Amino acid sequence: MNQQVAEPEVAIKLNEDYCSRCSICRSLCPFEAITKDAESGKIVLEIEKCQVCGICYSACPAKAIDTIYYDCDSLLKYLERVKPQYKSDSLVIMCKGSAPDFAGVERLFGVSKFIPLSVPCVGRIPEELLLQALAMGIKTIYLLACDEDYCRFDRGSPLTGRRVLALNRLLEQLGYGREALTLKRNSLKVKVDKDLCISCGNCAFYCPYGAASLDSPGGAKFDLDACRGCGLCVAVCPAIALDLDNWERERISTLIPQLLAEMKSPKILVFRCQWAVFSPLDGESNPHTRAIELPCSARVDAFHILEAFQNGADGVLIVACPEEDCRQEGASAKAQHWMEALQKRLNQIGFQDRLHFCFVARRYPEQLDKELQQFRQGIEAVVSKRKGK
Amino acid sequence: MIVTVQKPLDEVLDSISPYSKILIAGCDGCTQPPRGLREAKVLSQLLELAGKLRDKEFQFKVTTLVKQCDSFLTASALKPQMDGVEAVLSLACGAGVQTIAELFPDIPVLPAQNSHFVGVEDREGGILVESCAACGDCLLALTGGICPVTRCSKGLLNGACGGANNGKCEMDPARDCAWELIFKRLERQGKLDRIKELRPPRNYQAKAWRLTP
Repeated sequence: MNQQVAEPEVAIKLNEDYCSRCSICRSLCPFEAITKDAESGKIVLEIEKCQVCGICYSACPAKAIDTIYYDCDSLLKYLERVKPQYKSDSLVIMCKGSAPDFAGVERLFGVSKFIPLSVPCVGRIPEELLLQALAMGIKTIYLLACDEDYCRFDRGSPLTGRRVLALNRLLEQLGYGREALTLKRNSLKVKVDKDLCISCGNCAFYCPYGAASLDSPGGAKFDLDACRGCGLCVAVCPAIALDLDNWERERISTLIPQLLAEMKSPKILVFRCQWAVFSPLDGESNPHTRAIELPCSARVDAFHILEAFQNGADGVLIVACPEEDCRQEGASAKAQHWMEALQKRLNQIGFQDRLHFCFVARRYPEQLDKELQQFRQGIEAVVSKRKGK
Repeated sequence: MIVTVQKPLDEVLDSISPYSKILIAGCDGCTQPPRGLREAKVLSQLLELAGKLRDKEFQFKVTTLVKQCDSFLTASALKPQMDGVEAVLSLACGAGVQTIAELFPDIPVLPAQNSHFVGVEDREGGILVESCAACGDCLLALTGGICPVTRCSKGLLNGACGGANNGKCEMDPARDCAWELIFKRLERQGKLDRIKELRPPRNYQAKAWRLTP
């Protein structure tokens, strides 16, 4: 056995040559993934503990940390390219975790024309990007972070608050006015239609945060301060009485036929947790694949999967975070269980091998490609068999 | 609640295949797991997809009923929805299916579920357990709240039989001996003398099928 094991590509790396061992990254990492080697004094990044929030990347004064997701250079290039399209000199940088739709942004910030940029946690945005954006001719920057206790990466939102405060002071001295940067906070939570509730208690049992309870009489009640917007309850409500801010069932249902219409056979529709893999800045380019992001894989709805098949999808892939990486209290494991149940039912009607569930860790970006490739081969076999008939 | 299990989909497909316009009726009552509007919609989508593979086009309407076995409520909710419906596929237990069948004798009503028992859902373990046989002669006051009719494999009214091994039933080692549980429960409550009370054989002939309470 002389097999060489190739090192897997990782989403975030520490370049020792540049590291000044200042330990800022170590003090900011919410997951204790960065340590200092007692003997050598070297800073060590333990990738297995890393959750790829990018906070260390944004804070490193020596630029010793590289990330493959949303790094400063790619973001700047992207902004330069899209700025003329939007014909606006306002930029709105939002965390995916709490980004509302276009109208929602308008309501929050009172701007009707802006360049939208949603990123997985605004805590990963370095000061440099904000300053360069201003230098590029952008007049106002709005930042939308998650409510502090809603932040998926614990420290991303509080850190952004401190950054904006410090930068605004600096910018005022430079003559940019008092509010070149505006920060607001938001979170997306469950909505309940009391008229539809049948008091079954599914939400109360399944909510990972204890935010749901059931009163008799009175039906389901939600403590919105405790709700963290995973959408798990929405997926298990037998009465379709629940929905999630900005992830409304209808909105996803509209998206499905649109995406499938622009795809080429064999068509694979991916439903993925927005934290399992960070979507490319420019959207998907493969004509056989389109993705719909979800706040957590546990939000994946049997309706939407079946709608995808009804609209001509050849395969549906569900991408979830491994249980230990799940930012929603291990909700992704529940998703796996439900998808297995749906697979059994699909098998019964002759839709074998058309639905696949996989765990993908964002720290290893190649994992998704592998899963997708493998699934595509299976789907191609299914499609050619169907044509042969 | 009434525990039901979805029938294999090919059996459901077989039963609905002579019809095209089908109403799928969920039940928000006691069916467990819940078979409400979501289940009705998901089933309609699955059957529609299955139909396409078999060159058969179904037209489904979906609805849900508060309690399908309540003939008054079901009649008023269903009547306005029955126009053009050739068959009803019911997600309720057998009682719900029969209620609709009685209300609309001209229309075939087909069950989508197999009804198993009156039971409880152990959500943590994801299992459903029979807890009441509706025997019509409740003994729970004498047995510490543990039913020997459903939980003893032999349904003994005067246990234990003596065949238990380490607290497990000799007929099914996965099952706790109900009489050992009863003994421990009564002991805990200081009511162990109850175990000596002889419970007479049940009169199966007298099991009621119609009651006027």
